[in-house]
Amino acid sequence: MANTFQLEILASDRPFYVGAAEQLVFPTVDGLMGILPGHESMVTIVSPGELKYLVDGEWHYAAISEGFAEVRRDYVLVLGDAIELPEEIDAKRAAEAAERAKERLLHKQSIMQYYHSQAALNRAMNRLKISKRHNHEI
Amino acid sequence: MGNMREIRDRIKSINDIMKITNAMYLISSSKLKKAKKDLAATQPYFNKLLYAMRSILSRAPEDIDMRYFDQREEIKPEDRKVGYIVITADKGMCGSYNHNIIKLTEQKMAAHKQSHLYVMGQVGRMYFQRRARAGELDVDTEFIYTTQNPTLYRSRRIAEQMLKAFDEGKLDDVYIIYTDMVSSIAFEPKILQLLPLDAEHFVQSKGEITKHHEAVFSPSPNIVMEHLTPNFMKGMIYGAMVDSFCSEQQARMSAMDSATTSAKDMLQDLSLQYNRARQAAITQEITEIVSGANSAEL
Repeated sequence: MANTFQLEILASDRPFYVGAAEQLVFPTVDGLMGILPGHESMVTIVSPGELKYLVDGEWHYAAISEGFAEVRRDYVLVLGDAIELPEEIDAKRAAEAAERAKERLLHKQSIMQYYHSQAALNRAMNRLKISKRHNHEI
Repeated sequence: MGNMREIRDRIKSINDIMKITNAMYLISSSKLKKAKKDLAATQPYFNKLLYAMRSILSRAPEDIDMRYFDQREEIKPEDRKVGYIVITADKGMCGSYNHNIIKLTEQKMAAHKQSHLYVMGQVGRMYFQRRARAGELDVDTEFIYTTQNPTLYRSRRIAEQMLKAFDEGKLDDVYIIYTDMVSSIAFEPKILQLLPLDAEHFVQSKGEITKHHEAVFSPSPNIVMEHLTPNFMKGMIYGAMVDSFCSEQQARMSAMDSATTSAKDMLQDLSLQYNRARQAAITQEITEIVSGANSAEL
């Protein structure tokens, strides 16, 4: 069928999803970006947030940290540092990580450390958000 | 009788050491299994990353920011500040593994005046810091990373640090010295250039350079490149770390295996000696008793 494209989502520690998909939505620095089959060729950065893809009329969700995506007419490649299903996220651990990062942000620290803490907080909050949103529905 | 006790003590101590070498052998083999599995799981990601870098390079507009590709040819070879990331083990007991790495590093360092060392692993750090105190070397003392269980997080930190030093002009070249596992029994120390990136690195054959249709870079080619480079560096460093870790475990496994085998050989020899000594002692006792009884009969 012409209304699907080949989608490859690879996390750094495992291949996450490889197969056909009808739609893909992922977060970028400028907001969410949706991809349909036949999209123009593009290379872009993926920022931490929620990624979703439509397979056989059903949406699948995942939390993604930093990465990038390459889009071609019939093929999309998404590479991420860490990609997790909502049910894989350990909410308690993420909450603890967020707490730790917040605490570290309060300390006086170098710019580099500040960015690290901020990025850690971002990742933790993103995990929490996604696990909350989807695990409620079950 | 003294001889017998000596032999018994030696047998006991060899037995104790053999228990340790055997345990180390088992530990390394299970660590190796895990490390190999991790490496296999990350392989598709980095293959695609390499492929993406290549395809972006071939499709990028001409004016893309290439500061990590800048070879800095204006700096003379003898003035270049060269950084080496050296991966050694955290402990010895692994044959010539550490020795080979240190030897290669010293060989490479001899070619430049200004070498900066970033040493991972306890053994190498101890060795080079001792030399640094003598004023012969420049070793980054803040650079403390273990080589056990390589993680992406650790390699990201290292990549960041290297890119920063490169940006600020503290380093002109960055190399990583690690051990490559050629096959499951052979490994050899290797050196790999990390920075500046070389466009030819990514192109395997000339045919691949042919320009594809141009792609849109969102939000801009420079930002995308800036994001991809650390990611790519991280991947290269992680790959080297895992490769070294596998080699280390493999080296320790074979070293401990041969230690256990020679312990077994020694035990066999010693128990033979012990039995002979015991036999001799018994024979002597019997002779004494018999000659004693003979003299009593008289």
